[in-house]
Amino acid sequence: MPSPPYGALLDAVRGVRWPARHAVAGALSGVHRSKQRGTSSEFTEFRLYRQGDDPRRLDWRLLARSDRAYIRLATDRAILPTTIVLDASASMAYPITSRLKWRRAQEIGVGLAAVAHAQGDPVGLAVPDDLGRLRMLPPRTRRGVVSEIARVIDAADPDGLDPLAPTLSAVRSARIAIITDLLGDADALLRAARVHIVAGGEVHVVHVVAREELELPRRTMLAADPEDPRTQRFLVDSTRRGYEAAFGEWRAEIARQWRAAGASYVEVVTDEPASRAVRRVAEPARGARE
Amino acid sequence: MTWLFPSALAIAGVAALAAIALHFIARSRPLAEPLPTARFVPVRPIHARTRSIALSDVLLLALRIAAISLLGAAVAAPVGPARGRVARIVVADRSLDVASIAEVRDSARSAMRDGDVLVAFDTLAGVTTIASLSPGVSTAHGSLSAGLAAAIRTAASLATRTDSIELVLVSPVGMDERDSATMRIRESWPGRVRVMRVAARPSVLTAPRIQMSAGPNDGVAAGLALAGFVGDGASVRVVRGRVSANDSTWASSAGHVLVHWPASAADAAWPHRDSIDAIGGVTSPTGTLVSRFPRVWTLTGSTVARWSDGEPAAVEHRIGDGCIRDVGVLLDDASDVALRTPFRAFARALVAPCGGVRDTRPLDAAALRALAGSGPLAPASMFRTGIITSSRWTPWLLLLSAILLLAEWSLRKSERRLT
Repeated sequence: MPSPPYGALLDAVRGVRWPARHAVAGALSGVHRSKQRGTSSEFTEFRLYRQGDDPRRLDWRLLARSDRAYIRLATDRAILPTTIVLDASASMAYPITSRLKWRRAQEIGVGLAAVAHAQGDPVGLAVPDDLGRLRMLPPRTRRGVVSEIARVIDAADPDGLDPLAPTLSAVRSARIAIITDLLGDADALLRAARVHIVAGGEVHVVHVVAREELELPRRTMLAADPEDPRTQRFLVDSTRRGYEAAFGEWRAEIARQWRAAGASYVEVVTDEPASRAVRRVAEPARGARE
Repeated sequence: MTWLFPSALAIAGVAALAAIALHFIARSRPLAEPLPTARFVPVRPIHARTRSIALSDVLLLALRIAAISLLGAAVAAPVGPARGRVARIVVADRSLDVASIAEVRDSARSAMRDGDVLVAFDTLAGVTTIASLSPGVSTAHGSLSAGLAAAIRTAASLATRTDSIELVLVSPVGMDERDSATMRIRESWPGRVRVMRVAARPSVLTAPRIQMSAGPNDGVAAGLALAGFVGDGASVRVVRGRVSANDSTWASSAGHVLVHWPASAADAAWPHRDSIDAIGGVTSPTGTLVSRFPRVWTLTGSTVARWSDGEPAAVEHRIGDGCIRDVGVLLDDASDVALRTPFRAFARALVAPCGGVRDTRPLDAAALRALAGSGPLAPASMFRTGIITSSRWTPWLLLLSAILLLAEWSLRKSERRLT
């Protein structure tokens, strides 16, 4: 079982379904609509027998009544291996005192893993650490995998400048959920995601934004990028307005690019409960209604 | 360690305090705060003034304070180390009032150490050496005022390399060596004076007895006779005409004084003035005569009397063991000046023994105590005011200060590069 801090979250996301956005190509039986047809017991339609069809799929009773050879078609259900990719770069450790961005990313990661695991999908985790190594748990369906994912997430510490694009390329799951603030290698990450989507994969982007990034303190400060110490800018009244405009435009452009690439994009502000963010990611229509 | 301009240290201290204050209230970049989205803040050249009570950039502050302190020290011009060092100015009397110049020389030598200064004086004074104190070096009487004034001037040159200055006075300290300015000059010496008394030449206070060589109606002869100077056994001969070889021979005898006081311009072969004029007065150490006198000659020698404008009116020359005194004061035969009382007082110095009337008796005890004074030695710093001088440490301190300022600039530049 996951560690105690996630208990309330897991209770809140119990029953949430995370359907695939498209028919999946998996062979193993699961809950997602498969691209394959015929072997399942879930009847869909009849079709005239064609040469080469498996004679075992003939509906003998219909043949007997109508003297016509039909075969029964059925929609298959398949599993969708899912990997949670968590951004553990220094920019996620913000604000410095509360680290709320990182905390919210942890919760969303565990919540999505629990949702996927609950519907029988294999679920795994990929977290690049500050030394450039990739801590990866391959997708599994066994019991306790969510707890294992929670332990790895808890052990991670956001620091350094960890690119996510190589991590994304290394992941072989059909569905990838990226939890990030997109302040690192956003362009490279988008390119890698496009490759994955074109190959039939599914990408969900959870863009975590701190409330403090949206509403900067009303005082003069010298803002320094924790991932690039050379980037230091004075924040005064005149530059604050420019910041708000530029940050807003950037977020809108990022959302447009990811959606245009075929990914699911959800922006999560840190003061939003993690369970609600998980629902919005897993069930976009329902989440939007809530 | 002493300082030529200690006020510069105080100024440097104030400047260092100002630097510390400015360090806390500095126009500098505020402390950077992390903001992951800092890249979206527009880039604008903004200067922000922050006030910080935290002590940051300690090395920078230390460099600045050190540079300011060294600059102050360089301007203050340290001299030394001279702590406890005492230099002496030995003021030695070389005048006619001294019985034995050798005694003066020995006394001065015993008082002097390496680096000390010897000032010899009669009516004039100047820095000299022990070897220059020899018999016959002076034909003038002593003046303590001249010696003390020269000592004060000399102290200024010693002040840069010592802490205290001792004034040693080697002199008979006779009555006539003191004048009305002596004690005032003494009071301007800011310390005690060590008085080393030497033997004085005996005083000459007796009334002169003279013999006259003059015409029957000579006014000077009459005036001197009225004064009671003329008598038997005279050691002073007054010649109103031309001086003969016999007179000169007589004058060379011990104690003899030949006073050549021509009655007319033709009675002397002295060099004439460029322009003969008249003057309204003449004075000797014993009296002043006011009348209209023609000035015919230019006299050279040890001055005995002066015209009212300071030009010598009577001079003295040594000859053998005696002396000849030339008096260029022409008196009108029709005048009664010589018969008046002021003439007698004026003439007393002219017919005095060689060297003139001199009271070489020592000063009384109270006057000696006042001359010696009490308290500590004169601090050298008292003589440094107004002296333009330099310290050998100043260039090095300036160089070190410049190095520190370069280091401060380099450090500040490197920090700016990092931020």
